Amino acid sequence: MTVDEPTLPDLDPVIHAQARLRVVAALSQLNRDDRIAFPRLQEILRMTPGNLSVHLRKLEEAGYVEVTKTHRGRTPATLVQLTRRGRFAFEEYVAALRTLIDPGEEPS
Amino acid sequence: MDPSEALDLIRQERANTGRALTPDPRLMYWPWGLTWLIGFGLSFLRYGPGGRTLVALPEWVPLFGLTALMIAAGLFTGLAGARSGRSVSGPTTRQGIWYGIAWSAGFSGLAVVFGQISEALPEHLLGLLWGGGMVALVGALYMAGGAIWNERTMFSLGAWISAVNVVGVLLGPGWHALVVSLAGGGGMLVAGLIGWMRLR
Repeated sequence: MTVDEPTLPDLDPVIHAQARLRVVAALSQLNRDDRIAFPRLQEILRMTPGNLSVHLRKLEEAGYVEVTKTHRGRTPATLVQLTRRGRFAFEEYVAALRTLIDPGEEPS
Repeated sequence: MDPSEALDLIRQERANTGRALTPDPRLMYWPWGLTWLIGFGLSFLRYGPGGRTLVALPEWVPLFGLTALMIAAGLFTGLAGARSGRSVSGPTTRQGIWYGIAWSAGFSGLAVVFGQISEALPEHLLGLLWGGGMVALVGALYMAGGAIWNERTMFSLGAWISAVNVVGVLLGPGWHALVVSLAGGGGMLVAGLIGWMRLR
């Protein structure tokens, strides 16, 4: 191991899995503090409800996603949003990817 | 999954989500473009420049046509907009609702003011007052909408409509309807097309 070599950043294992990365990327497109209905998110990501639930639970355990059960009129609704922590983790992850592609580039 | 694949995936997924949650610009602009093209077009044909009647339509046709088309376009775009935002709740929804209320407040306010002074005005200036005033409001609100959502197409359309309106008003009654019909209505059709191509 040489001293001069810049250390490559580690990629957040919670985000760095194809399906969860897609979920987080989609949620990152929402404006801050906006929530999206579970079925709509599922439709956008083309995932089965079971599959999406599993990944959301993982992200929720990491504190990256908040899942809220509420009512819209009389019908129950499940709303999903990225937490501040999740948004930050996603930004860090993207910055880490850029550094991996071009280690010379200073992470901004 | 290597880093560049991951970045590509992020780009794709963000673009896909953006498309899914933004109303189709064609659905938002084309109904209004057609409304102006037909509505102001009828007004030009019936109340042409210099008080000439180019096509002998019954007097009530232009105003009735424009009003009916505006109601239809308003309902259609309102539903299309609500439909695309139906599954998202939060600050963005409230922004949209407030913006919608601004439109209603602006139109109602102008209608009351114009209604009060219309009786005192000669017949040939009525169309200019209502048409010019309402179109000025539409232009300003589109520019404001562009500023709120950082939408270049919407802002440009508002600026274009504002400019076209002033030109039409300066040219005078009759010409205003023609200019707003072709350049204003046409501008909306173009804006819908550009917005749609940007989203694809």
